[in-house]
Amino acid sequence: MAEKFDLNEREVWDGNYAASQALRQARVDVVAAYPITPSTPIVENYGAYVANGYIDGEFVMVESEHAAMSGCVGASAAGGRVATATSSQGFALMAEVLYQASGMRLPIVLTVVNRALASPLNVRGDHADMYLGRDSGWIQIDAFNAQEAYDLTLCAFKIGENHSVRLPVMVHQDGFITSHTAQNVYPLSDEKAYEFVGEIVPVDDMLDFSRPVTYGAQTEEDWHFEHKAKQHKALMDSRPVIDEVFAEFEKFTGRKYNRVEGYDMDDAEVVIVALGTTVETARVAAQELREEGIKAGVVGIRVFRPFPFDDVRDMLENAKSVAVLDRSSPGGAMGAFFNEVSAALYTTPNRPLVTNYIYGLGGRDFSVNEAKRIFMEQKANADAGHITTDIQQFSGLRGPHLGYFQTKRS
Amino acid sequence: MQDLKLKAADKRGIHQLGGDELVGWDEVTQGIILTSFEGDASNVAHLKAEERNYSDFNSYTATVASWRVQKPVFNIDVCIDCQNCWVWCPDTSIISRDKQMLGIDYDHCKGCEVCVEVCPTNPKSLLMFNEQEDLETALSQWPEKKKKEK
Amino acid sequence: MIEIRWHSRAGQGAVTGAKSLGDIVATTGKEVQAFALYGSAKRGAALRAYNRIDDKPIITHEKFMNPDYVLVIDPALAMTDDITMNDKETTKYIITTHMEKEDLIKEIPALQDKADRVFVVDCIQISLDTIGRSIPNAPMLGAFVKVSGMFELDYFLENMKRVLAKFPQKIIDGNMQAITRAYNEVK
Repeated sequence: MAEKFDLNEREVWDGNYAASQALRQARVDVVAAYPITPSTPIVENYGAYVANGYIDGEFVMVESEHAAMSGCVGASAAGGRVATATSSQGFALMAEVLYQASGMRLPIVLTVVNRALASPLNVRGDHADMYLGRDSGWIQIDAFNAQEAYDLTLCAFKIGENHSVRLPVMVHQDGFITSHTAQNVYPLSDEKAYEFVGEIVPVDDMLDFSRPVTYGAQTEEDWHFEHKAKQHKALMDSRPVIDEVFAEFEKFTGRKYNRVEGYDMDDAEVVIVALGTTVETARVAAQELREEGIKAGVVGIRVFRPFPFDDVRDMLENAKSVAVLDRSSPGGAMGAFFNEVSAALYTTPNRPLVTNYIYGLGGRDFSVNEAKRIFMEQKANADAGHITTDIQQFSGLRGPHLGYFQTKRS
Repeated sequence: MQDLKLKAADKRGIHQLGGDELVGWDEVTQGIILTSFEGDASNVAHLKAEERNYSDFNSYTATVASWRVQKPVFNIDVCIDCQNCWVWCPDTSIISRDKQMLGIDYDHCKGCEVCVEVCPTNPKSLLMFNEQEDLETALSQWPEKKKKEK
Repeated sequence: MIEIRWHSRAGQGAVTGAKSLGDIVATTGKEVQAFALYGSAKRGAALRAYNRIDDKPIITHEKFMNPDYVLVIDPALAMTDDITMNDKETTKYIITTHMEKEDLIKEIPALQDKADRVFVVDCIQISLDTIGRSIPNAPMLGAFVKVSGMFELDYFLENMKRVLAKFPQKIIDGNMQAITRAYNEVK
């Protein structure tokens, strides 16, 4: 039996510590990890909980992130509750095995502390690694602060392990801005947390010797397409399960999560759509601008995969001008997030104006003032009835203005 | 344990690998996870292959006999039960019980000739013949022991 | 919202200091934030740590701030770092130094017109005397308690004991003395 861990009703935790406590309370059986900044403390703390008797689990030290996720695949296929953490280059090295995990329908939880991808080398946060996972077949949930990193990590187990889902889940938080920022966190007691998450009931577990199974079979063109279609459907069908888990979580904590979060959206005309901590910073700007009579609102994407195409559309269809903020170098295209939101809005009757901001790369500060400036550009678009700026702009960048493409609508 | 809708679950027994009717995306297994046996398989390690209740996903229930152009024929009179062929066969198609060689599993043998290569007896206890050759004719054509050349 | 910026060198304990302060402030029912900007952190490299304190949940995540308090726990950084960056007309400075306040201000042009808002205390000497090592974060907390008037000294000491609970008694006692001395000596 595990030792009792003393928790206060109110703690001051950073995002990493919060996530590691969620792993402890979920009684994760196996963590196979190759720690990397800024997510190191999550698995480091889990290792300490094991060593100090706070959890009956196994910490497996491996030689790379590729091996870390491979170890997780093995442990999860064996039937255990499994989690690990990574960031940036580690995420990139894990990428191959991420597709294996989702294709084998293994409910592993990966806490991703978002960090820029080299080169140039940079330990600070942007969403390059998060975007790298967007076609990997994992559910991707995004926390905007440390409290949410804790809450959503608990939810992730319950979502992924649901027998009608059976998919791996990433819980993202922003490197340093969330992972290394201590703030008030209100944890559940160990008993309540485990009551919420529940015991894992494995399916097709390899340690069930009465029913031997083969994992990782080969298919060629005769079967591959059907299996990927079924996997896509599982992801799309996870949406109501995610909603149920969020509703259940609200019963335990009073904290309500939605796959798309809207703030001041009832009558919003100018909107920022974003991921991560930027959602909250933009809310401060929106509230301040509302005092000046500008109808500003913010939309945060809580569940990035499966992408909430319909909810995004419902949330934004009555806006006049929408700024979609991508915190990842777009590599010769419009921002990927912009493209997804734009595609949803294109199918609405009103088709709000949509522009793309590339910002905050490599941890560049995103300030309230910058959010206000973006809102005011949307205001100018809304007043003019057409896009007055370049459709894609870099924001917060030193040097001459960098932007691309102008509207053909007027 | 859950009720899996298995592909071609009604077709028991040997079937052609890759030759069956293909089901749609809605009927394939979750995660391409394939079961080897029907029912409780706890005791399966203690059963002979032919006594096991293999599932349709198990390659034991599929035949590759048609892939073969020539087949190995086994001559029990020459065999010394050294088990070399059993060790080397890449398709577990040598049937052996209690270290005694019994014959060839022609449903799974692809005719690769490895067993013939590794057979140490003189003459060999396994030789390749045309697929349509019957056993009696094949055995009647078995070569004599080769004399050592001085 | 109250905002605090720490100027420190890696190893002097500003990050721990900021987190301890956040921890104690949170026990009073307030919402807090504590974070730091490290470079490629090596012992001795300059770094800045930050606190935000408010009555309602803090949702801004910008690093930019107009601090209400600037806490400098390395004597040389007062001279070399931009300690008045983004300050306000009410920003208070608590600077660790062995110098007299007037002599220090003479050395730092940016502080010339802010003398009434500058407080000095020798956190380095206090920590050497009480804890036995140069860890100026604890005494700075004592000085902050005095200058800000945010807590009664006894309340702060009691809660600091809880934060330090995992350390040996000798270290806890040293920290208590350091906080108390700085509280009394800051001017």
